Amino acid sequence: MIKTERILHLKSFRGRKVRVVREHYLREEVPCYSAVCQAGCVNDGKVLSGELTHYVVPDASVVADYLEVLELRELQGIVFTQTAFQAVQHNKGRSRQYNRLRGLLKDPRHNCVLFANEFQEYSYCPREKGESQDKWQTKCVYSAAVWYHDHLAGLKPIVMITEDQAAVTQYSSLNAGVYVISIQDYLQNFWPDLQAAHELYSSISQALQEKGSEGTEREYAEHLPAEVLEAGIKSGRYVQGILNVNKHRAQCEAFIRIEGSTNKNTDLNSDVLVCGVKNRNRAVHGDGVVVELFPKSEWRGKTTALTEGQGEEKTGEEAQSQPMPTGRVVGILQRNWRDYVVTFPPREETQSQSRNSQRILVVPWDQCIPKIRISTQQADALQDHRVVVRIDSWESTSLYPNGHSVRVLGRAGELETEIQTILIENCIHVPPFSEAQLREMPVISPEKPWRVDPGQVVVRRDLRDTHLVFSIDPRGCEDVDDTLSVHTLPGGEVLELGVHIADVTHFVAEGSLTDLEARARATTYYLADRRYDMLPAVLSANLCSLLGGVDRYAMSVLWELDARTLAVKKVWYGRTLIRSSYQLHYELAQALLKGENAEVPELTQLGTEEKDAKLAQLTQALEMLTHVARHLRAKRDREGALELEGVEVRAQLDEEKNITALVPRQPLEIHETVAECMIYANHWVARKIQESFPQQALLRHHPPPRQEFFCQLVDSAKARGFFCSTRSNKALADSLEQAVDPQDPLVNKLLRVMATQAMSNALYFSTGACSQDQYYHYGLALDRYTHFTSPIRRYADMVVHRLLTAAINLENAAGHSKPSASNKELEEMAQHINNKNRAAQQAQRLSTELFQCLYFKDKDPQVDQCCVADAVIYAIRANGMLVFIPQYGLKGAVYLRNREGQVVTVGQDGSCEWQSGSVQRYPERISTTCSRGTSTFSLFDHITVRISVQASRYHSVSLHMEVISNKPHQNAEQQPPQLQGRSQLVQEVVRLAEEQAHDKAARGPKFSKEEREFCQSKSPNLYSLLEEVRELALIEQSPCGGTAVKSLQYRPYSAGMLSTC
Amino acid sequence: MAGLELLSDQGYRLDGRKATELRKVQARMGVFSQADGSAYIEQGNTKALAVVYGPHEVRGSRSRTLHDRAVINCQYSMATFSTAERKRRPHGDRKSAEMSLHLKQTFEAAVMTQLYPRSQIDIYVKILQSDGGNYSVCVNAATLAVIDAGIPMRDYVCACTVGFVDETPLADLCYAEEGGGGSSLALALLPRGGQIALLQMDAMTACKGVSKVLDEVVRQHLQDVSVLTRE
Repeated sequence: MIKTERILHLKSFRGRKVRVVREHYLREEVPCYSAVCQAGCVNDGKVLSGELTHYVVPDASVVADYLEVLELRELQGIVFTQTAFQAVQHNKGRSRQYNRLRGLLKDPRHNCVLFANEFQEYSYCPREKGESQDKWQTKCVYSAAVWYHDHLAGLKPIVMITEDQAAVTQYSSLNAGVYVISIQDYLQNFWPDLQAAHELYSSISQALQEKGSEGTEREYAEHLPAEVLEAGIKSGRYVQGILNVNKHRAQCEAFIRIEGSTNKNTDLNSDVLVCGVKNRNRAVHGDGVVVELFPKSEWRGKTTALTEGQGEEKTGEEAQSQPMPTGRVVGILQRNWRDYVVTFPPREETQSQSRNSQRILVVPWDQCIPKIRISTQQADALQDHRVVVRIDSWESTSLYPNGHSVRVLGRAGELETEIQTILIENCIHVPPFSEAQLREMPVISPEKPWRVDPGQVVVRRDLRDTHLVFSIDPRGCEDVDDTLSVHTLPGGEVLELGVHIADVTHFVAEGSLTDLEARARATTYYLADRRYDMLPAVLSANLCSLLGGVDRYAMSVLWELDARTLAVKKVWYGRTLIRSSYQLHYELAQALLKGENAEVPELTQLGTEEKDAKLAQLTQALEMLTHVARHLRAKRDREGALELEGVEVRAQLDEEKNITALVPRQPLEIHETVAECMIYANHWVARKIQESFPQQALLRHHPPPRQEFFCQLVDSAKARGFFCSTRSNKALADSLEQAVDPQDPLVNKLLRVMATQAMSNALYFSTGACSQDQYYHYGLALDRYTHFTSPIRRYADMVVHRLLTAAINLENAAGHSKPSASNKELEEMAQHINNKNRAAQQAQRLSTELFQCLYFKDKDPQVDQCCVADAVIYAIRANGMLVFIPQYGLKGAVYLRNREGQVVTVGQDGSCEWQSGSVQRYPERISTTCSRGTSTFSLFDHITVRISVQASRYHSVSLHMEVISNKPHQNAEQQPPQLQGRSQLVQEVVRLAEEQAHDKAARGPKFSKEEREFCQSKSPNLYSLLEEVRELALIEQSPCGGTAVKSLQYRPYSAGMLSTC
Repeated sequence: MAGLELLSDQGYRLDGRKATELRKVQARMGVFSQADGSAYIEQGNTKALAVVYGPHEVRGSRSRTLHDRAVINCQYSMATFSTAERKRRPHGDRKSAEMSLHLKQTFEAAVMTQLYPRSQIDIYVKILQSDGGNYSVCVNAATLAVIDAGIPMRDYVCACTVGFVDETPLADLCYAEEGGGGSSLALALLPRGGQIALLQMDAMTACKGVSKVLDEVVRQHLQDVSVLTRE
């Protein structure tokens, strides 16, 4: 290694310039990461393919400006230099881009590498005095390109791309084999057919050009510099948070959600309101911002009235709630821009705009996002199309942000376009599985079926002959990932319950392409009409699916329970080999339990006697299972587990993907039985991995909800005379149990829905990132919980499987195995999976809404009986109310006052019409007054509404509801609506019943005995630390009597470790 | 700006070293002829000068005299030009006093003081340029100076610092790495017996991985330092 020095001029905290001298070590052997390397570099990790015609070396400015083009998967053989990499890294406000670049380099699907050119002895060039940074960077990149060419002995031509014309002329003729050209020439010469790249290039370069020619008129206040913001946040002058734009009045209202406990303003316990676009100061929905609060006299309340339609905003006499903290945005900490789907306006509108060069204002699909200005030549061709755009910048001189288009999705309103829109808006990328990924899969064909590996038979516990294993799933399920077994051990004292889960991680090695793809997807995406699998079909529907009658690998948890008390005596975890005997579905299992004469397909071939014997065995197992599950459920109920309601409705589709009906699904006890066993397995696996890896186990917790979110629930319950206690999950479960109106079962359902809405989502986390009292799962009332039972469709389960395998190995081989992911990586992964899960739920909801709209689209609301339905009022607003339609599982707003100021009045027969009048709102009811008299609507009233479709050019289609009568809807051929409604209320069955079960319940933190008595935590404390130091064999009594000097120094704030109470 | 990236994804540190590589070490003994022993050492950009006087009779107050062994007197100072911004006070501040005490404790453990009852050994160390790891460079310089003075020691004292970033131990931290916010641990060792003379840890976060750091890096790399300093 050769030591050189680098001199930097940095700014100190006080703003003074400091000259800093840093060492800089150069070495000869820096790996080149090329497959054709002749010099024997140690290339571990990703390697540039040797089959390419050339390698590309982009310079720093190209990487900074055109990274999106380089991200295209078709462009291969890209060598990023360290110089360019660091230029992106040190560019303030580009941290997102830096993270993208890092992700790109880690992603094995992209053929690109990072070459540490500045640490290479022969490619490093020091910056000369007076040389500008850009020139120096170009010089470095060029010398790296030359080194690369020489290093590979001229086997590959190297193309350096730069936007600097001077560099092109200066360097292009210096070395044979190293070409220096501009990015445009590069794309034209090497990728003439790659249309996407050309379009992206021209749209970005146009956006960059336009940037220079901005007007000078200032539209917004400048953002404050980062140091000022940081100091302001520390001193409590400013507040930091995430900007959340109110979807219904995107122009005027936005809220800042305060982050964590960092803010010192103790009186600030609610969100901060930001009124108007000027105060929002160029922040976009989702950005991390810093706000300055106005004095209390200028605080305003949020609007409580419902708004009809989009865009038109009226200010003034609208009803407002209590004044809340109000402020304005003074700076932006973190931009959170993603890809947005926008719609081009029709021609009439573009022409009026297009006087101003080729810029067009496009309207995002997401109502929270402001209009975006983009430059394009294709405005005419693209009108009424949905297009993906990215925002580039938002200068203070510009009213709207500038962006560029990325790709065209299709015409607005078409099903495919809308589905793609939903996916992109939720940041879901699900390309088909690539060749390379499929090549990793085991090959199976009819001639060469997959067989159990004899080597695996030895290492796995064989349950094929000893255990009666069966699965219970929805009808027609392809990916069976859980099976069950239960039997009494000889002697009759002990019951053995087993949960056997598909062993996906046996087939998917950690770090393989399939694994990385699965990690990126994190979950299988279920939309209303299709699904996107996390794993290739050969695994999810075949090898990993625990089908009946075939040998499969499994991960099992086996409990030995006391036959009478059902207390756990022993738990066994391990890999097994199973053969599922019966593949049942829920209805069949329930029928068997009831003793009905049901036909089990596996038994039809057998003789009567044998059949009866087998059937009796199976029924007995099912009964035993139900018995155990009831016991487990009762135990959790005692701890305070909650039972709540979701209102998702599943659309039934025919072959042409049209909605035919909304079919009800009867919740059966067997659903709960299976769910309970899965929860039990998850819980015990969580205990196991948490005990084996206290710092790096992936668990799932459900934080207790904030009490203020329960206001609506408590108030609504009061309206019906129920008292609702939300002190703990036990109290909540009890009061929900009692809040039953014998006349109307919907009241209880709606209260449960409200309780569900008040809760936060359950989240994955790494045990090292939270203290132990935060592991608690509120909904399920369990101290530790994780996901283990669905590895085919959830990546978290695969991680847990790997952790469990490591834990088992640890036990057997005494410390030879350690988990592959550190706490930090695991926490990152947990965040990623949480985000993807949220996106998956959101996408599922949106697609269901889309299909609901399609269902009503073809029907004429005035004629068709389907469009008239019974609805229940569940919330009151200033000019209308929110209703729930049980028949379709829809929720929506009903207005009592329209834009002309007319209100709804009720006639003698209950029918409604519009007349001019006024609306008066009370906490529990709303009444309208006009010449014909006063009519009142109260909470939980049943009314009749007409549903119609409200078309929208730019946004998603929505449903509109109009009240037509204040009486419950009576339909001739229908039963009383509330009964019908009850049966129609479908729980969210798309995901496993188990998953929703844990989105329910709760309980207060459980302290250990030590914690209660001495306020001492079990987590690492000073004592254990000292113990650790002692074990390091300090030489207290060494033979030569040396004085050991121990000095353990802590800064004051680490004293917090001493006690967590 | 979010803190510097101390360890890149490819495993390079800010200055191009790998995680377990030491900085370049250069040393010279006997730089001054007036003193009984002297040495100069460079570890990367950290440069230190050590001078040893003695053993001689106790100067100053007689009451400090120990009847069974020698008194060791250490003084640590930093040149005013040693840091990027000029230092106001070269010695006598709180940090220097602490460092002097640590040096004294370290060398009381190493020098065979019982051979020189009622006498005193002075060790003066000056940092000429500071770029991280000041304590360990001082110990190494002082060891060389003591060797130069011919004073018997149980073993050579070698010292090195180690940091902990992203769960990877980094050997021999430079200034930017020390200030980077992670934990850092300085360790002085008598390598032959594998005995620890001084262990000092500064950490803002809990130090869960102390044993890992100690086992994997410090012990192994102090051997390297000891080889280098012996030359």
